[in-house]
Amino acid sequence: MNSTEGLISHLPNDIGGKDADAINMEEHPMLPWEKRCHALLDLLATHQIVNFEERRRGVENLGTEIIGKLTFYERLMISSVNIMLEKRILTPDQIANKTKEISERK
Amino acid sequence: MTVPDHHDHDHDHDHDHDHTHPGVTKDEEPYGYYATLELAVRELLIEAGLITADEHRRQIEILDSRSPVLGAKVVARAWTDPEFKKRLLADGSAACEELGITMYDGTHLIVHENTDQVHNMVVCTLCSCYPRPVLGLPPDWYKNKQYRARAVKEPRAVLKEFGTTIPDQVSIHVHDSNANMRYLILPLRPAGTEHLTEAELADLVTRDAMIGVTVVKSSLVQTNRGQA
Repeated sequence: MNSTEGLISHLPNDIGGKDADAINMEEHPMLPWEKRCHALLDLLATHQIVNFEERRRGVENLGTEIIGKLTFYERLMISSVNIMLEKRILTPDQIANKTKEISERK
Repeated sequence: MTVPDHHDHDHDHDHDHDHTHPGVTKDEEPYGYYATLELAVRELLIEAGLITADEHRRQIEILDSRSPVLGAKVVARAWTDPEFKKRLLADGSAACEELGITMYDGTHLIVHENTDQVHNMVVCTLCSCYPRPVLGLPPDWYKNKQYRARAVKEPRAVLKEFGTTIPDQVSIHVHDSNANMRYLILPLRPAGTEHLTEAELADLVTRDAMIGVTVVKSSLVQTNRGQA
């Protein structure tokens, strides 16, 4: 296999069978926002707004570097937002205005 | 990522800072970029009528109500009721629903039985698909690269890291989950537990045994009884 073949034959998520380090058994308690995020992602799937496969494709599209740096729920959140932008369910302006509004709430 | 950041000041929310984000819960400070993004998206979808706030609250309640206790109940019933076990192996989702455990996420549950000849374990190589209706949320290691990459390639070495040694003559079957099909392992009932009640058996069953990275041991019962 040449130096670039490996990069294109497997998507970033497709890691089954690859070499990896020892398993890190440490577990962290779920953060409150992660639970809210999880519940939101479930609803997105239930309502077919962003289903599991779309979400996974969205994570793959983030690329190896971002996938490696973001935490599990950060990846899923960004992936789902990108899919909703792609489907024009939300627009960048809506999200920008809403996040600004939230940060200014008294 | 195409989501703009409209904070008035550019900074990474990982540091300590003295301003707050009013209107959100105070259970986590600072209220970071991703938490704000989640809230923003949720509110926009509620305003658009695509989801409701009640549904979101209800979903959190569902998440809180699911844990390995449910899976252990299923396993203990299968160990004590041969007819239930047949139904469970034939259709995991339907059998769980007999016990009041709904597959709330629309997935289909497939149960694999460990025997003297076969040891089963579960992985999701592509992401983190997991039998959440019966086990709750997956442990971090299940979602991490190391387990996902290696479980299908060197399961015996992986099991050894969990302290589990499967005899060479026993085959190991690794089941790779997907968005629609989720797997639960029915562990071997440990020897010497014939006198235990269904509830006592359920106390022996661990999350990791139902993922298939460990086996159920009868010694836990003695420990628990010693403490009682």
